[in-house]
Amino acid sequence: MSGPVVLDPTTLPSDDNVNPYTFCVELRGSQWFLQKGKMIAYYGSIDFQGIGHGRLDRLVRTSFHSPLHASDWVVAEGSGKMLLADRAFDVNSFDLEDGNLTIRSGNLLAFQPSLALKQSIVPGFLTLIGTGKFVAASNGPVVFMEPPIRVDPQALVGWADCPSPCHHYDHGYMTGVMGGVRALTGLGGVSGEEHQFEFVGAGTVLLQSSEALMAEQAAGAPPQEPGVPGGGGHGGQGAPRLPGQLGDLQRRFGL
Amino acid sequence: MLAVSLAGDAVKAKNGSMVAYDGRMAFKKMSGGGEGIRGMVTRRLTGEQMTVMEVKGQGTCFFADRASEINLVQLQSDTLYVESSNVLCTDGALRTGTSFTGLRGASQGNGLFTTTIEGTGQAAIMSDGPAVVLRVSPQFPLSVDPGAYIAHQGNVSQSFQSGVNFRTFMGEGSGESFQIRFEGDGLVYVQPSERNTVGGEV
Repeated sequence: MSGPVVLDPTTLPSDDNVNPYTFCVELRGSQWFLQKGKMIAYYGSIDFQGIGHGRLDRLVRTSFHSPLHASDWVVAEGSGKMLLADRAFDVNSFDLEDGNLTIRSGNLLAFQPSLALKQSIVPGFLTLIGTGKFVAASNGPVVFMEPPIRVDPQALVGWADCPSPCHHYDHGYMTGVMGGVRALTGLGGVSGEEHQFEFVGAGTVLLQSSEALMAEQAAGAPPQEPGVPGGGGHGGQGAPRLPGQLGDLQRRFGL
Repeated sequence: MLAVSLAGDAVKAKNGSMVAYDGRMAFKKMSGGGEGIRGMVTRRLTGEQMTVMEVKGQGTCFFADRASEINLVQLQSDTLYVESSNVLCTDGALRTGTSFTGLRGASQGNGLFTTTIEGTGQAAIMSDGPAVVLRVSPQFPLSVDPGAYIAHQGNVSQSFQSGVNFRTFMGEGSGESFQIRFEGDGLVYVQPSERNTVGGEV
């Protein structure tokens, strides 16, 4: 029986996967953004700096536009080789060429500063814009699909170039009084697949082959402004909900 | 899953890790890791408890634990330092013991002591995801996140590296403030996953 492959800095790949679960980044005086705690080992001299102060201000200003996630990200700089991994999930690198890609915030491990990270309008997602390489994790290999497609919310990793993520509910099953009761109580049987995300148009949708999600990290809420989804502002929704009101149930029955 | 063929010889395995076998096997629980009274007391004191059973017989025995990845390590009158929770199975001829790890252990949340496996033979260690084996040589020292470290072997010295500065206390820590630095000559096993450690928070 042959032993496992022993790696050292000369045999480690540069900016490529070591195995399906580990990714090696080579730094030559350059910088990478990475999510906190995803570095497992490194050779050479690499510095890790929390972002949001002094020296890195300029870098952050050009390629980091999600202040709510700032505390989860660090900048690695120096020279050497660095191994990234996340909970033994599959790790893959993707190249973006003058494009855009939106990804679940927990799935993004690292990206080059030539990409700009922005917070997506869809809460819990981040958008990368520009040209460069980024590393993302998924539970099971990533599957690329072409829209039009409806996907299970838990299997969605991200999407590129298609600006139409929307909710889709299985209508025949969810409308009417009985449908409402069924969805809310589970009585009468729910398949668990009444709700999907729908994508149409040109682009690519990235799916993972499992419905296990990364732990959501609390990243705060976007600013409270009318018109900002998830922002806590009740822009145009009428009076704030009062305690004792039936809320969603009420609206469902058209009361 | 690990398959071990036995022909009258014995292996030591983590208690309860047998999933199947064919042939004739005898399982005997060894209190205190089969290290005698002294080993038993040491393990009790150091918190590196390891319940081990001795498997002896003829045939093939299969071991597995929580679907974790199994890595085989070949030892040639060598010492392997590994966390007791990561040991699945060792050749009967290998000696196991405990040793002091100092601050590294504390940062891993695994206690101040670690398990050593000495001798010549094969050992099977477990990891969350296939382990990456990294060589440490004098010109290439290696830094490892305490949460991803599982084992090392060879003649390496480890030191504890901390990048804690005033920013850490202001809540702007990098999350990578603690590392174990390995220098010398040997191999280090890391897993593509991180345990929850005290060090991971700062």
